[in-house]
Amino acid sequence: MTWLVRSTMCDMMPAVGDQPGLADAGVDTFLATVRRESPMLVWAGLVLGAVIFAVTPVITVYVPLPSFLLPAGLRDTHANRICSTRFYLLRQAVFLLKMYACMCWGQDAAVRRRFNIAAYPADPGTFRTT
Amino acid sequence: MSHVPFQERGDVAVEADYVVVGTGAGGAAAAVTLARSGASVLMVEAGPWRDPHDYAWSTYGAMRDMMDDWGATITMGRALWPVVQARLVGGTTVINSAICVRTPEDIFGEWARNHGITGIQERVWRFQDQLEDELCVAETAPAAMGRSNELALKADAAGNFGGHVIKRYAKGCIGSGQCLQGCREMKKQSTNLNYVPEVLRRGGQILSSAPAERILFEGRRAVGVTGRFVHPQTRAKGAKFTARARKGVFVAASVTHSPVLLRRSGLTHAAVGAGFRAHPGTGVFGIYDEPVDQNFGVTQGWASTKYREDAGLKLETLSIPMEMAISRLAGGGRAFMERVVGYRHIAMWVHALRARSVGTVGAGWGGKPVIRYSFDEYDMARFRAGLVKMSEMHFAAGARVVIPGVHGIPYSLGPTELDVLANAPLDPKRYVAILSHLFGGCMMGTDPTRSVCDTRGKVHGHEGLYVADASLMPDNIGVNPQHTIMALAMIVAEGALGIA
Ligand SMILES: Cc1cc2nc3c(=O)[nH]c(=O)nc-3n(C[C@H](O)[C@H](O)[C@H](O)COP(=O)(O)OP(=O)(O)OC[C@H]3O[C@@H](n4cnc5c(N)ncnc54)[C@H](O)[C@@H]3O)c2cc1C
Ligand code: SF4
Repeated sequence: MTWLVRSTMCDMMPAVGDQPGLADAGVDTFLATVRRESPMLVWAGLVLGAVIFAVTPVITVYVPLPSFLLPAGLRDTHANRICSTRFYLLRQAVFLLKMYACMCWGQDAAVRRRFNIAAYPADPGTFRTT
Repeated sequence: MSHVPFQERGDVAVEADYVVVGTGAGGAAAAVTLARSGASVLMVEAGPWRDPHDYAWSTYGAMRDMMDDWGATITMGRALWPVVQARLVGGTTVINSAICVRTPEDIFGEWARNHGITGIQERVWRFQDQLEDELCVAETAPAAMGRSNELALKADAAGNFGGHVIKRYAKGCIGSGQCLQGCREMKKQSTNLNYVPEVLRRGGQILSSAPAERILFEGRRAVGVTGRFVHPQTRAKGAKFTARARKGVFVAASVTHSPVLLRRSGLTHAAVGAGFRAHPGTGVFGIYDEPVDQNFGVTQGWASTKYREDAGLKLETLSIPMEMAISRLAGGGRAFMERVVGYRHIAMWVHALRARSVGTVGAGWGGKPVIRYSFDEYDMARFRAGLVKMSEMHFAAGARVVIPGVHGIPYSLGPTELDVLANAPLDPKRYVAILSHLFGGCMMGTDPTRSVCDTRGKVHGHEGLYVADASLMPDNIGVNPQHTIMALAMIVAEGALGIA
């Protein structure tokens, strides 16, 4: 399901003008890390958000196709509408996905440079062992 | 050995006069008070011990390495709002903003009237004097404030919002804006840097990555805790540990975990987990013509308590990492990304509400806390009023528009459009709130049918069992709670030692 999580996240954060999108911001490495490290429930939440994103064009753009089969323009309209849908539980499920997409995008060094923010060094992930 | 980290195999058995569960604000303050009296102290901490050079830089890393349950705890109620706490040595003091506010005088009156808690005002304030001295409480220097905080000062000068530069447990803060991922500069005085090491210097011990699962009893007397180590990365269970207490067990595992630990240990009294309260908070973004670059400067530098008594509101500046801030901009796809382009022009200011709504903390699957909590209409109306107030502040500072972040009203509002926000629907599902100041669950009081602990933190009906964290507090207080929690924990510790 990683491909679905990836494609829906990238639909949420496309490039605009010279501002890079998620696809250019290390999403593959990020998702591999999340998949490996996160508790089952976090990953399940992301998959659920992605599935909801994928199956809801019928209520946002009124087309009975999964989001990844929509033409680019409609897919973008869907991304905007599903993130702001009035159905609370759908909005929340998709928000988790958006939050992780933002975490990935916002930790990319090139993105941070655009916003005048220092790049993050690698997270050490260490702790006292003695 | 004074520090026992994750152990994979075998049985670890340790003993001391006192066992303290949790090393956050309450646990560390209790432990150091006990250790200073000459008692031997054993701290049992669910999370690992991470030094500043171990702290994560990124938000993802902070969720993974520092947050309880990966930051995924939410309220179950009319709205699903995140409940944020840390899980590592030092507890939530590692990731908080270190704002230090004395317990307001009116709180002591309320506690006396409603819960029979008397005779502690002078002692709380005396301990707060001591804490301010030991933890280097100071106002942030002007050079470390940053533009967002400066704009708040400007708004205050223009609109009289009754604010001040915040005092914090920070020694020489340089305004790196990383408080929520832990202060790598070692300026913020989280308890892993001071009280926990002091306890060890005084002969104490600590088990880390060691969540206590049960309190051990002999009759009505608590004699220790037991559990199994959990690996900080793989979450695999390791060796069993038993921490035995000759004189007493202090539970300071936080508002969400202390009631669960008591319940799992057989204390099924209805008051355990009752009285959960919070200061739910939310932010309003102001968009300015000039770049604000809110990630430069101290994480929180300005606050106002002017509206605490009538409206229950505390106003503050807050800068959160860029990746978290942008996720609050509405929408998805190109429309969303076009909003993100202007990030440098955003200042985020927040309010926290002294909500009157009350919830419960229960034990869910695998010992995870389940928090049932919803706002009533009265709280929602005040919460919305707080958004209006923050918006007025942004306009007083020269913001072009504000982004209130309420679902179903226009994305941004100009200075003449605030009535739209003032009349926004009160459905909590339309609002985003975060719960970071938590109270109750093991409340103190004189009535054993309504409280878990007596007025000095000893659990009713048990010997040698004390609660020393925010769960003890029978009400929310309308200001940042760490200072009150620490002072109360010190009083509980002195009570166990037989000091007044
Ligand atoms: C982002 C954020 C910012 C904040 N900013 C401020 C601020 O500026 N000023 C302020 O006054 N307050 C602030 N607060 C609130 C303040 O930090 C908390 O109220 C305070 O730390 C609570 O103290 P505590 O001892 O109850 O719990 P904690 O400090 O959370 O400590 C509890 C400890 O118990 C451990 N634990 C949990 N379960 C177990 C178990 N079963 N066995 C062993 N150990 C266990 C946890 O890992 C943790 O270390 C903030 C909170 C957050 C989340
Ligand atoms: S703003 Fe930076 S230097 Fe100051 S206390 Fe926070 S993390 Fe430390």
